Amino acid sequence: MSNKDDILKKYRANVREKFDMPDLSDIKAITYPNPLVQFAKMSEMVGGQVIEVDSGRDVNVLIRELFPDAKEIASNLPEITIATRNPDTVGRARDLNGTDVGVIRGKFGVAENACIWIPQTMKEKAVMFISENLVILLPKSQIVNNMHEAYKRIEFDKEYDGYGTFISGPSKTADIAQVLVMGAQAARSATILLLPE
Amino acid sequence: MKNQTYANWHDATFWAVRTKRDNMAYGLEEWEQLREKASQIKRHTITHLDEYLEQFATKAEENGCIVHWAKDANEFNEIVYGILKNHNVKKLVKSKSMLTEECEMNPYLEAHGIQVVETDLGERIIQLKGQKPSHIVMPAIHLNHDDVGELFEEKLGSEKGNHDPTYLTYVARLSLRNEFLTADAGMTGGNFGIAETGDIVVCTNEGNADMSTSCPKLHIAAIGLEKIIPNYDCLAVFQRMLCRAGTGQPTTTFTSHFRKARPTANPMHIVLVDNGRSEWIGNPEHWEALKCIRCGSCMNTCPVYRRSGGYSYSYFIPGPIGINLGMLRDTQQHSGNVSACTLCLSCQTVCPVKVNLGDQIYQWRQQLDDFGTANPQKKLMCKGMSMVYGSEGIYNLGTALAHWANIIPSPLMNCGLNPWAEGHKMMEFPKKPFHKLIKDLEK
Repeated sequence: MSNKDDILKKYRANVREKFDMPDLSDIKAITYPNPLVQFAKMSEMVGGQVIEVDSGRDVNVLIRELFPDAKEIASNLPEITIATRNPDTVGRARDLNGTDVGVIRGKFGVAENACIWIPQTMKEKAVMFISENLVILLPKSQIVNNMHEAYKRIEFDKEYDGYGTFISGPSKTADIAQVLVMGAQAARSATILLLPE
Repeated sequence: MKNQTYANWHDATFWAVRTKRDNMAYGLEEWEQLREKASQIKRHTITHLDEYLEQFATKAEENGCIVHWAKDANEFNEIVYGILKNHNVKKLVKSKSMLTEECEMNPYLEAHGIQVVETDLGERIIQLKGQKPSHIVMPAIHLNHDDVGELFEEKLGSEKGNHDPTYLTYVARLSLRNEFLTADAGMTGGNFGIAETGDIVVCTNEGNADMSTSCPKLHIAAIGLEKIIPNYDCLAVFQRMLCRAGTGQPTTTFTSHFRKARPTANPMHIVLVDNGRSEWIGNPEHWEALKCIRCGSCMNTCPVYRRSGGYSYSYFIPGPIGINLGMLRDTQQHSGNVSACTLCLSCQTVCPVKVNLGDQIYQWRQQLDDFGTANPQKKLMCKGMSMVYGSEGIYNLGTALAHWANIIPSPLMNCGLNPWAEGHKMMEFPKKPFHKLIKDLEK
């Protein structure tokens, strides 16, 4: 018999009373009068920076202004014309190390905790983590109230269908004496650019 | 803890985390409803695990993952080593996993010539120090910034005397960045496995699970059987609670869903580990310990943990959940831990999935006699106490005369015949017992 069969057989022999699945449709989850305002507030609370981009404004110019010293900018988004590296065409994932600014696209934000759903849409997802600074482009109309709503609508990319993540603010740690430090192993800053439709 | 100042800091720090948890919980009107749902989902799932495990494994294999089943720690270590050997792996970067601690995987792999690098900052610190975690979420909480500073001076060549946490974190970042780029494989644990989609979901603040899997060509995920949950609707409930309960944050920075390997990597391996779980589910009083989602809130609130720290327990997981899991693992070895509890039940009041932790500890205590781990002297003294407390006459006589015990020389009271004197100072009895005091006040 295989390990799997052994383990399941042992479990079935030992499990006692069985319990039913509860109804989850009656959860009275928090909602907000203005989810976008709450999303922005939470983003700042978790250490992120939120900027509303006026229609007609070129995000390339804005990113340059925000990171004037940036030498290496990585993105596979067609509208990011200032990119010097492309996560779709790098030889190896590690070649993205040394990226000053990585620019990626978020699908929607979550008001209660500033999470942004980001499915992998590039060959090397390293760009989301290896960059010193992360810029996330997010349509400002795409904000849900809470994680229940969020998990009803997450989707993986059709081409890169193996990975997706919620990101809320920059990488952080308090592992040394409980002092909060931004920039543990992944991006040291997270800037969310809220785009008009 | 030897250093009283540090012991006070430890206590205050965890109470602050507990307070942050309260703020998060009170910030959601539905918090108690979520706790009830979370408990019910877990009750359902862990009593239907065979179905969900099969569904998960089938889905993960359809996604292109290779699924392994390990009966115990030994098998787990052998499976992981086998995969690494097949891929000629010399260096493995690892994100935090209490399961690999449980199975003592690192020493096993190291004995077989594989370099293992922990990448969660706290885990890395204790790995460099040659220690074990003292908390499941904040593993290096027993060290202060000077301890870490001196360690980094020696191991990572940081500036002498610069013990600023921001600087030290940056030093570790640079060192770990190099490890991520040069590792041959990455390993993660998993907070949840989703039966319906085959996703392994990993929650971190540092992004180390994502870094561990973004550059190396191989990803191995290891999870205990009880981590499987049915679907995303259930995940939403747990995702909302895990971090709020554990660290008082609204979410972890990263909630990552691993469904299959990157397009440029080898297929992803998932190892499902039993190691006692299929047996524990049959324990009529203690099976609900399997509901635990490892948030750590029970240790943060525990008055004994806060004042004594993780190393005062014999099991590798400390605090209320560790006491219970330790007893499920080995009653002979871990019976001593059941005394590290005041039965205040704060743990089960905060537990996001309503594990009845304190009640379970009480139950274990009732069984010590059967395990042969009860202390015979304490039993005799308890019999004596039942006599005293059972009779008003003897009780009143006793309390009236108790202050005479004050003049007994302490070496006599603290001798080996009095097991309660171990590590305790003998109390001083008042001349006037409480009953007399009240009666006099009423006059």
